[in-house]
This record gives sequence, C-alpha cells and structure tokens, in this order.
Amino acid sequence: MIDMFLQDILPNVLKILLIVVPLMLSVAYLTYAERKVIGYIQVRIGPNRVGLWGLLQPIADALKLLLKEVIFPAKSNLYLFLVAPVLAIGPALAAWAVMPFDDGMVLANIDAGLLYILAITSMSVYGVVIAGWASNSRYAFLGALRSAAQVVSYEIAMGFALVGVLIAAGSLNLGEIVLAQQGGFWHWYFIPLFPLFIVYFISGVAETNRAPFDIAEGESEIVAGFHVEYSGMAFAIFFLAEYADMILISMLAATLFMGGWLSPFDGIPVLESFFSWVPGLVWLLGKTAIFLFLYLWFRATFPRYRYDQIMRLGWKVFIPVTLVWLVIVSTAQVFDIGPWFTESAVITAGGG
Amino acid sequence: MESVIFYIFAAILLFAATMVITVRNPVRAALFLVLAFFTSAGIWLMLEAEFLAISLVLVYVGAVLVLFLFVVMMLDIDLAPLKEGFTRYLPLGIIVAALIVVEMIAVLNAPQFDISAAQATDGSNTKMLGRLLYTVYVYPFEIASVILTVAIVAAITLTLREHHRKLQDPAKQVMVKSADRLRMVDLRSKKQDGEGSES
Amino acid sequence: MIVLSDYLILAAILFSLSLAGIFLNRKNIIILLMCIELMLLAVNLNFIAFSHFLGDPAGQVFVFFILTVAAAEAAIGLAILVVLFRNLSTINVSDLDRLKG
Repeated sequence: MIDMFLQDILPNVLKILLIVVPLMLSVAYLTYAERKVIGYIQVRIGPNRVGLWGLLQPIADALKLLLKEVIFPAKSNLYLFLVAPVLAIGPALAAWAVMPFDDGMVLANIDAGLLYILAITSMSVYGVVIAGWASNSRYAFLGALRSAAQVVSYEIAMGFALVGVLIAAGSLNLGEIVLAQQGGFWHWYFIPLFPLFIVYFISGVAETNRAPFDIAEGESEIVAGFHVEYSGMAFAIFFLAEYADMILISMLAATLFMGGWLSPFDGIPVLESFFSWVPGLVWLLGKTAIFLFLYLWFRATFPRYRYDQIMRLGWKVFIPVTLVWLVIVSTAQVFDIGPWFTESAVITAGGG
Repeated sequence: MESVIFYIFAAILLFAATMVITVRNPVRAALFLVLAFFTSAGIWLMLEAEFLAISLVLVYVGAVLVLFLFVVMMLDIDLAPLKEGFTRYLPLGIIVAALIVVEMIAVLNAPQFDISAAQATDGSNTKMLGRLLYTVYVYPFEIASVILTVAIVAAITLTLREHHRKLQDPAKQVMVKSADRLRMVDLRSKKQDGEGSES
Repeated sequence: MIVLSDYLILAAILFSLSLAGIFLNRKNIIILLMCIELMLLAVNLNFIAFSHFLGDPAGQVFVFFILTVAAAEAAIGLAILVVLFRNLSTINVSDLDRLKG
C-alpha cells in the first residue's frame, strides 16, 4: 500500500500541485493585471496603495474575501447553493490535466485530449446554472438562464473550430497537435485556419462569460447575475474559476493555433540559434499572456452585447463560418495544399 | 482495486437513478440525471470506451441535460398534481422493477456471461471508431446526420413564434420627408369673450 | 474480478429503475423523458460491456448511433414540451387528452 502510494500517487499529487499552485498565483495576479491594464486604458493608475505599485493588492483582496462572512439567503437551496461553487471550480481545474507545457511536460498524456477539454469545459455551465437556481433570487435566476443558453450555443461553434484543428493535425492529442505545427511560425495553424482561430477565441470569451459577452453577470442590468447572493469565499471561488477558465482558453488558443511551446523563431537562420536557449514553457506563457491581454482589452473597449445579438452572432455567423471553413480545410488536407496540410505533417502526428 | 471502483461507481449510478425517479422537484431530478450520466461515463471509461465516455459527457452532460435544466427551470410548473398517483403506483412499480431485476439476474448468471478476460484492443479507441464509422458504417453515419438535421429543423419550427419585434429600417428612416410626418393645419385663433379674466 | 455479467446486471437494474420511474411519475412528462434517457443509458451500457468483453467494436459504433438519435429525440421532445406548455400551461399527462392542440 505504501509502495503504491510512493510510486503512483505521490508523484502525481506533486505534479498536480505544480500545476495548481502557479495557476492560482497567476489567477491572483491576473486580477491585478486586469485592474492595471483597464486602469491605464481609461487613463488612470489602477491599484497603487498596497505594496510597491500595488503589487500586494491581490493578496489583500484574497484576505478580505477569506475573512468575510458567507451569507446564505433565506429559502435558498442550501445544499445546491454550496455545491455550485465547487462545480464551477472543478472543471476549471480538471481541464488542466491534459495541457502540455513543453515537449512531454504533461500530467496525463491521453489520446483524446482535445475532446476531454471540450467535455470538461462544457461542464462548467453547471456551476453557473445551479448557483442561479439555488440562490432563490430573480436576478440570479435570469443570469443562470442566460448563461445556459449562451454557453450551449457557443460550445457548438467552439467545437467546430476545434474540429478544424484536429483535421489539420490528424490527432486529438494536444502534444501531437503542437508537434504537427513544427517548422517556423508560418506552419502554425492560425494562418491556414484563420477564421476558425478568430471564432475559437471569441467563443472562448463567450464561454467564460467575460465582457462583452457577460450577460450572465451584467452588473448594469441584473446586478451581478448568477452570483448576486454569494459573498466571501463562495464568491471568491466563482472568481477563481472564471479567471482559471480565462487562462485555460488563452493557453489553449496558444497551443492549438500559435504553436504551443514552439519558438516563433524556428526556421529563421540567425534568430533560431540565438533564441534556442529559451525553454519552451516561456514561449507558451508569453503567447498565453498575449491572449490574456486581449481579454482585458475587450473588456475595456466593447460595450456589452444584447442577449439576442449574442444568439445571432453564435448561430447565424460563427457556425456557418466554421462549417464552410471545415470543408475548405478537409479539401486542403486531401490535396496536400501548402506547408500545413502536407503528408509529412500527418505522419509526424502519428497517422499509422 | 478495479472491482472496488466498479462497485463505488455502480452504487452512485443506482443512487442517482433512484433519486431521479423519486425526487419531487424536476430541477433536482435533472441534476441527479447529470450525476447518473457522469458516473456512467466513468464506468464506460473502465470499459475502455474512451471516445464514447467523453462524448457522453460532451453531448449529454454538456448539452442535452443543460437543455433539460433550461426547460425545467423556465416552465413555471405546478408540482402538486404531477405527483398524483405516486403512492398508488409505488407498489406496482416496485413489483415490476423487482421482477425484471430478478429475471435478468437469473438469466445473466449463466456461465456464458462469465467472461472476464477482456479482448485486447490495439491502438487508439478514437481512431478505431473513426475508421469504422467512415468505412463500414458510412451509410448509417450519413443517415444519423440526416436525422440530426431533421431534428434541428423540427425543433426550431416547433418552437418558432411570430416575432413582434420593432425592427428599424435605417433606409426608410433616412428617406422620410417632412410631408410624411407633419400635417400643417390651419387653425384660426378664436376671439374669446372673457379675455383678461383668465388667471 | 469484474466480469461481463456484473455490468449486465448493473444495466438491468438501471433499466428496471427507469421503468419503475415511468410507473411512478406517469403524470409528469419531463420525468418521463428523463426516464427514457436513463433507459437508453442502460442499453448503451450493455452494448459497451459486450463490445469490451467480446472485442467487437460494432457495439461501440451502435452506441454512437444511439447517442445521436437519443440527442435528437431529447431535443424534439423538449421542443414539443415547450409548445405544449405554451398552449395548455400544463405538462400533466392526464390533461393532454385532446387531439386539437
């Protein structure tokens, strides 16, 4: 028993901690970055009181939320009220199991990794829906209904966009998808799959209920949507889940369309050797940071979509675009067009 | 170890199924249905059907049951009359279910079902299924896609309502002439008698 | 050691539970739909168990088709339910006794 513990369980627990602890830290500092970035976009300074440049602000926020009382609304469904935050954070963390951080640096190198991520992220809607229903509040309930419809609609567009990637790479394994993009940044999938790339990222913003698609929260219309009634740590968990989901979507975009851990200078004569000492993880994190910045930028610039506009965009724009591009990708794949769809790419992806 | 996991999953699955059929509130029933589907996805994983297990979570837990929840939450249902006859039919339900279980167990304990050595499957489950679907089963696959399309069309036409939206046509707004909107009326002012007495 | 019959018995119990559910909740269409989904789940479990223990992938292909058709069935069923509720403002099965909607 102890042998099994030392050999199987302990290393995996350590690996999980190695993913989750930095993730939680990045969530904390993502909130800081968000407030700073939006602050500067709106020509103000943002948090600058706690610590140097306000760097300790997220820690102060976390302490504040930890010490606050969790209030249970009258006539709420107490059990579901407590389960909802758990259901929100669970999928947000579980999806990281298949994320490759570098060549071979992955917790669970499963074959159907892309499918697994799709399935797990589709679970995250339950946290929102149950929170809205269990709160016994009209505002929360409206938020839950809106979120349910929105997430289900955008999942389809997102799924189609990912189907394009898996057709191009010939594999569902995230590591193999990255390896299929080897050989310089012009091999990355954001060029041949550009429409899918755009659709994927916008659907990702909608899936995480972020502005401009944050009708589930919509402070100005339904107060705070599904989490009006939550306070203290229960609220903080929703917050954590949302930001962890944001990082996940950004890192997925980097992995699937921007070559993951691959260096952008591969295949360029001088620069390639000049930058060869940089570990892949750094490239991956850099690409992820770009997408995270886009998230914050969107939030600072776009007004919120109306509910029917969101539905129209999802069903009448994104899904047709992805369907058309899927046909183009499959044709290109069959006729080996360009550097992306050549036979060798399929073979490196283990096409046996 | 494997059998322990199996029994735990089976217990959760049966518990969730029992709650689905006995719980009063349809929302809670739907949530227990989610639990049942998720658990059976776990059992399918034990049977090395990764692709189907994940697509069960993706399709059912992620979409169909959200739809169920959405409908259940949206409809303002009066629950009281729906539970009528629950106690009246309880004995009958238990008897029928127990009969089926006993009969099935009697049949299934036969030695030909006592297979434990799983046939070794080689390679990726997803790849194997994909290869089969697009070669041997290509016609059923096409028919399934037609069924799905028909389902989409049917569901939309069923629930589509006439929209009373106030759609604005900017072109018409721009083209408007003052004569279309404004009628000049010549109203001659009448001399009133008690002028000045008004306060 | 878990053998094929264990899975089959589990599926049988699940099936009979959902059958009992149809008996017990015969007034509530939503629960009836859920029970049908559970029945299909039990059937799928049987297919996958056979496919695993007999090494025949045809079972899994069949489950794939059942999933497809069941998803379509659920979507149309719920659409009909919504229309019904809109017209009659009830989902009680015993109130649905007219052919004209």
